[in-house]
Amino acid sequence: MVVRFLPADAVADVTAAWARDYHVLAPVREGSAVVYRTWARDMHPFLGRPPTASAKQALLPQTENLFNYTYRKDKDDLTRTEVFVSEALPPEPTLILGPRPCDARGVRLLDRVFLDRGVTDAQYKARRAATYFVTVACDEPENTCFCHWTGGGPRDENGSDVMLHPVKGGFAVRALTEAGEKIAASIPEAPAEVQKELEEKLANPPAMPAAPDLSTAPESFLKIFGDMDFWMDESARCLSCGVCTYLCPACSCFNITDENSGLKGRRLRTWDTCMSALYTLEGSGHNPRPNRSHRLRNRVGHKFCYHPREVEKQGALEFSCTGCGRCIKSCPVSVDIRRVVLDMIERGAAAAPEVKP
Amino acid sequence: MNQQTPYMPELATIVETFDETPDIKTFRVVYQDPARMAAFRFEPGQVGQISVFGTGESTFVINSPPTRMDYLQFTVMRVGELTHRLHTLKAGDPIGLRAPLGNHFPYQDMKGKDIVFVGGGVGMAPLRTLLLFMLDNRKDYGKITLIYGGRTPAHLCYKQELKEWAERGDMQVELTVDNGDQNWKGRVGVVPAVLTELGTSPENAVAVTCGPPIMIRFTVQALEKLGFKDEQIVTTLERRMKCGVGVCGRCNIGDKFVCVDGPVFTQAQLRQMPQEF
Repeated sequence: MVVRFLPADAVADVTAAWARDYHVLAPVREGSAVVYRTWARDMHPFLGRPPTASAKQALLPQTENLFNYTYRKDKDDLTRTEVFVSEALPPEPTLILGPRPCDARGVRLLDRVFLDRGVTDAQYKARRAATYFVTVACDEPENTCFCHWTGGGPRDENGSDVMLHPVKGGFAVRALTEAGEKIAASIPEAPAEVQKELEEKLANPPAMPAAPDLSTAPESFLKIFGDMDFWMDESARCLSCGVCTYLCPACSCFNITDENSGLKGRRLRTWDTCMSALYTLEGSGHNPRPNRSHRLRNRVGHKFCYHPREVEKQGALEFSCTGCGRCIKSCPVSVDIRRVVLDMIERGAAAAPEVKP
Repeated sequence: MNQQTPYMPELATIVETFDETPDIKTFRVVYQDPARMAAFRFEPGQVGQISVFGTGESTFVINSPPTRMDYLQFTVMRVGELTHRLHTLKAGDPIGLRAPLGNHFPYQDMKGKDIVFVGGGVGMAPLRTLLLFMLDNRKDYGKITLIYGGRTPAHLCYKQELKEWAERGDMQVELTVDNGDQNWKGRVGVVPAVLTELGTSPENAVAVTCGPPIMIRFTVQALEKLGFKDEQIVTTLERRMKCGVGVCGRCNIGDKFVCVDGPVFTQAQLRQMPQEF
């Protein structure tokens, strides 16, 4: 495999060149956050730490047009209307720069929802086929990182088209897919010392504390489902702000709303959050998840029980979590999903086999 | 429904509307494309997503039976934004429709059995589709009983049909209201109490129930006291829904989605699920 070298001061120029062929989402600093923005001239991509936002917006934009509609009034009888619907425009090829291996690997969790669940979400499928990941490998996992708990790793290559490895003075670049070859083609081959540095790096993966055994998580969750004392304790601090779901690379729940403008409008898909009481509030006033405890339980349950049960027919244990740690890092009240899951497993082990609410 | 663009509604036209109660209205709709209407098939208990463009979309059961395909009937209680707007529409107005969605009543398994329908308020809508389907295939089923309750006599849906069903002679209709008026000569009281009073036998019987959550809870208790087993109790659930195809996430109960794995569940199935209703 050809190893290429991208000097740190050439990142902006190379990104600008990509922007001629792709809609480029690049990470930029805004205040203390690192967010993805559509590439524009004079923008400086920041690859120094994992972006605050996940890469899911490349595949599932925060707001997306599902289709357009137009009303037409009958000129002879203004009480009569007709309506016409038209499909949204197809997505343009997108290159996302700066996601981490956990983000790229997490895309398959979105695939489960949008491609594998029975219906094919055409818009997601089109974006998926036209989106390329230029990922930055992690040398120094942060203390909120736990990708290895969920099967990933700081240099996991799944889902990436190009991998950038930080080396002295810039990045060692490896193309991992055919599309990646094309993206990396303009970057010159790496000098011998960079190749050597990369080889040494790859031979010495960053150390991470041993991962706990989560194999009993799904079963533990069901055992203590009705243990509301437990869920009240774990959720006592939660503010229902939803930041955990918005930043999560695997959270994919969405809302559908209409945006009207005179006789025209569009139907939009927007990110939604299961941490909000409105998420499940019915017109009648009935709410199956009225309290934070119910909602946190559902979020943890979805990631560590419902999702693994849904995909278990395919063999491996898979959680709907990439271990990126964004929900931990950005939670204003320090709810730590690792703690909740470990507490749950401990409580489940202590509980009698059948706990029915 | 289109498998490739699952969120795209097909255009339909309202052909008739009428008031059922002070806050419930019935809509009869047909697809604008006659070929689509002619080819449309569904099973009793399946639902549709009605779009009022500019306001949104909401889920309603198709309450006409598949044996009567001149139009698709929906009965809508005015409670939220979408239903308020829908109630202002009249015959000739266009809407969007995504249907059929979800599973259906296990009517094949009910053949040869006595059927007890237990409904409350607008919960009569899904029962209506199955009841009419059974009446149209009357010889396939045993004794049919309908126990239906509303807040007041004015709050009962399908008043004309209730009368016709009571006069048919091949089914039993028991109506009850929480509060009667001067003209009401029928029962006063809640639905589960009527069920208990009738002492319906669970022998070779299936109970189908739909109504407010509180009514369902006490109805299930009353049925259990009568000796009905979990497998003999069928209900259809309501949840807030958006996509209707198991993707948007909000209608889950454990790892099941009410929009695709439901809305129809037996009590036995519900017992296997995390108890979050």
